[in-house]
Amino acid sequence: MKEATKINSYLTFKLRDEIFGASVAKVLNILEMIKITKVPKAPVYMKGVINLRGSVLPLIDTRIKFDMGETVYTDNTCILVLDIEIAGETVHVGALVDSVQEVIEIDDADIQPSPSIGSKYKSEFIDGMVKIDNDFIMLLNMDLIFSTSEITLLRESSGDTQVEVETRV
Amino acid sequence: MIDNFKKKFIEEATEHIQDLEQALLELEQNPTNKPLIERVFRAMHSLKGGGAMFGFEKISEFTHNLETAYDLVRNGEMEVTNELLNLTLASVDHLGALLNDDSSNSESVMAQNADLMKKINELVTAGTVKKKTVHNTIEIDEEINTKSQTYYIQFQPNEDIMRNGTNPIFLIDELQSLGNCVAIPIVNKIPTLDDFDPNKCYINWEVFLATESNINSITDVFIFVEDDCLLQVNLISDTNLLTNQLFLDKLEEINVNQHEIGIAQLQDFITSLTALETKQSNKGKDERISLSSKDQTISSIRVASDKLDQLMNLVSELVTTQARLTLYAENDGQTELLAIAENVQKLSRQLRDNAFGIVLIPIENMLTRFQRLVRDLSKELKKEVVFEAEGTDTELDKTIIESLTDPLMHILRNSLDHGIELPQIRKNKGKPAEGRILLKAFYSGANVILQISDDGSGIDVNIIRAKAIQKGLISPDAALTKKEILDLIFIPGFSTATNITDVSGRGVGMDVVKRKIADIRGEVDVESELNMGTTLIIKLPLTLSIIDGLLVKVEETFYVIPLSVIDKIYAVEHSKLTNTFNNVVVLDGEQVSFFYLRHEFEIAPFDTAYEQVIVVNYEDKRVGLAVDTVIGEYQAVLKPLGKHYKKQEIISGATILGDGTIALVMDTNKAIKQFANKTLTTEDHK
Amino acid sequence: MAKSILIVDDSESIREVVSFTLEHEGYSVLVAVDGKDALKFLDGSKIDLIITDLHMPVMDGIGLIKEVRSMPDYQRIPILFLTTESQAAKKMEAKEAGATGWIIKPFVPAKLVEAINKVLR
Repeated sequence: MKEATKINSYLTFKLRDEIFGASVAKVLNILEMIKITKVPKAPVYMKGVINLRGSVLPLIDTRIKFDMGETVYTDNTCILVLDIEIAGETVHVGALVDSVQEVIEIDDADIQPSPSIGSKYKSEFIDGMVKIDNDFIMLLNMDLIFSTSEITLLRESSGDTQVEVETRV
Repeated sequence: MIDNFKKKFIEEATEHIQDLEQALLELEQNPTNKPLIERVFRAMHSLKGGGAMFGFEKISEFTHNLETAYDLVRNGEMEVTNELLNLTLASVDHLGALLNDDSSNSESVMAQNADLMKKINELVTAGTVKKKTVHNTIEIDEEINTKSQTYYIQFQPNEDIMRNGTNPIFLIDELQSLGNCVAIPIVNKIPTLDDFDPNKCYINWEVFLATESNINSITDVFIFVEDDCLLQVNLISDTNLLTNQLFLDKLEEINVNQHEIGIAQLQDFITSLTALETKQSNKGKDERISLSSKDQTISSIRVASDKLDQLMNLVSELVTTQARLTLYAENDGQTELLAIAENVQKLSRQLRDNAFGIVLIPIENMLTRFQRLVRDLSKELKKEVVFEAEGTDTELDKTIIESLTDPLMHILRNSLDHGIELPQIRKNKGKPAEGRILLKAFYSGANVILQISDDGSGIDVNIIRAKAIQKGLISPDAALTKKEILDLIFIPGFSTATNITDVSGRGVGMDVVKRKIADIRGEVDVESELNMGTTLIIKLPLTLSIIDGLLVKVEETFYVIPLSVIDKIYAVEHSKLTNTFNNVVVLDGEQVSFFYLRHEFEIAPFDTAYEQVIVVNYEDKRVGLAVDTVIGEYQAVLKPLGKHYKKQEIISGATILGDGTIALVMDTNKAIKQFANKTLTTEDHK
Repeated sequence: MAKSILIVDDSESIREVVSFTLEHEGYSVLVAVDGKDALKFLDGSKIDLIITDLHMPVMDGIGLIKEVRSMPDYQRIPILFLTTESQAAKKMEAKEAGATGWIIKPFVPAKLVEAINKVLR
């Protein structure tokens, strides 16, 4: 008999054509696009703030974090309201994504470690990979991604992109 | 449940200890002041009583000793000496340690406990003629007797026993609960109706009680009335006579005859009886009383601070929602709705003021710690210092007060250590030997100003300058004004003390003070005259959660600028702002440098004939901020932008407008500093 | 109807522990922080027992007892006082002022109930 393993639910979403997965435990809510108030003098990936039922929610452009350029708004653009831990404190933050796919259940045993070479992203941001049908889904470490002040999650080798991102705005 | 009480007791005891400390410090100035002695006594008394009830026996025992000493003081049998005060103040600290449950077992605390107790007792015995305490101890028969014994109780209340609210029937009832009981009322003294006074008691009782309880339990029943009655309790048999029919017949006889039988005659009768031993116990009824619904009136309550925070949040939400209602009503234009909206606005404003008032506490609350610090530290440093406080009823938000204590303690330590000179040096300088530190608090608009001034040696700007050069903070040829030099003390790592002492040279400098005060949206400033003294001026917001601001718009974004910094608003021709290279505009005949917010925020210029320039106070200057439009005054309920925006210092928070739009609250001081620095660096590059 | 007991003590913890105990016993409890505060409750409304501390600011227990005894509505109301003092002097003073009895602090809930049972049924 196969040993019982843990099954976790993930919400999958798209940034450009890539599919990513975030543990549903981290996602509080999915919002449609609403009015964003820009905060001056902030880093490019900090999109601004939105009014989430009376409280102020900072919004991060996830695509910039993944070096995919600024989010281009479409009807499918969504905001994931995330529950992030920063230095032991729980913080809410919004993440702009191109579209939300579905909630899938993934057996821990099916998760492959993220390749240490060949991936363009720093490995600490990726919890693992899983193959569903023909797609590879990258399971993300949301706490780390949305608490770091690094502009992109790219590996050092592609260091130039940082400047590129800044000049793009 | 008991843990809850315990927690409450700790809170309360902490207050008592603080109050005790405060009263002692006042007593030191005024050693014969009766009300103060009473206050000291009362605080000890409460600690003692509560300590014993909530399991802090050590505290109870310790305060008992202290109380004994102060009881003598209160009765004029002992004087308030320095020795006593020092000992008591040390005890106050010790009580604090005892209150901390964990520490009560530590050896050093216990050693301290014993030492202090010994010293207190020595003082008590030395300073007084020993008071004689008369104690009528009743011999207690500790023998456990499970058999019922029979007692004969003669209870003759004084006529006016009921004057004190005593109901003798209850006492008889209580006897009944102790066992098997026959109570015979002797009513032959009841007068005729004409002479009858309903407030008087005319009845005596002959009670026969078979019980397993000892005689003390019986006398205990009458403990409240022992001076208001004649009471005799006699053991008449080691058995339960009340199961003996012959005995019961005798009792019936007494009842009918209405005659007290008397112990002698009764004993004769008993010996003539054949004793029949019967075990019979009749325990008191097991009463079950259900919890009644609460019907309380409370004159003052203590509220957990998270509940207050919640209240504040709700009030903030209400204010926001009300703004929305007002906006809607105005757009809609219905008179009825407008009237309602106006009413809601009035109410929510009152509610807001009320709620904010709850979290405001007078700065008085911090003073004891300061007084104590000055007292202890000046002694340690062999300096003579008097600490005075003015405007102690000035109120501040609770959280501000909490965050303020540490920086203020630091400032005071600095004053004591580096400011105030030794008495001899002061005399040589022609100053009174006793130094003075004054804490002054007052309101200034929406701010509270705290000034801490000493009449000490002041800050030597030359030394500061030299030190800053030595540390590479400024270049040797930098031309700095006196104020600029003084401000150097707030730069991280700068410490004015040439020799680092134990007192204030703990590696924590004025930069930390400044940062801590900045954390609560306050500002700190320093003024100093050599040999005259130093004054630190702290400017604080009244509350952290609401500000009166001016709502303005730059492109699509709304900003709130705190009214407290705004000097004036001007409409200026667009061309005047764009056709200037040094960013200076002439307003009311005065040159005012300005920042064009669109430009600063990297937004394309606004194509309009006139723009609004908000002139704000920045340090001692007036600086203009050009915005697109001014919307009007706005009461902003501050909401944090969150950790992600922590580095965006120019925006101190956000607020939600009536229509749900977010407006950003600008910290003009930080903004202008940032804009100015940027201008500077760009110029440097040229 | 539940009997009403007015508790007068400047110590919140004492007030709480007493009210908790008494409410559990089925009494309805009113609380006041000192003698003066207690007088506000004595406006003719039904109070069956007063339990008061002796040492309190503003108006102490003795002062309160004297006041209460001078009020026609409450001349006969039982009054217990809370005391830690074993000294007879204080007790006598309170008794002379018109107190019905006392409760020695510290007390366990049973002792409190016992004392109340002596004066209130």
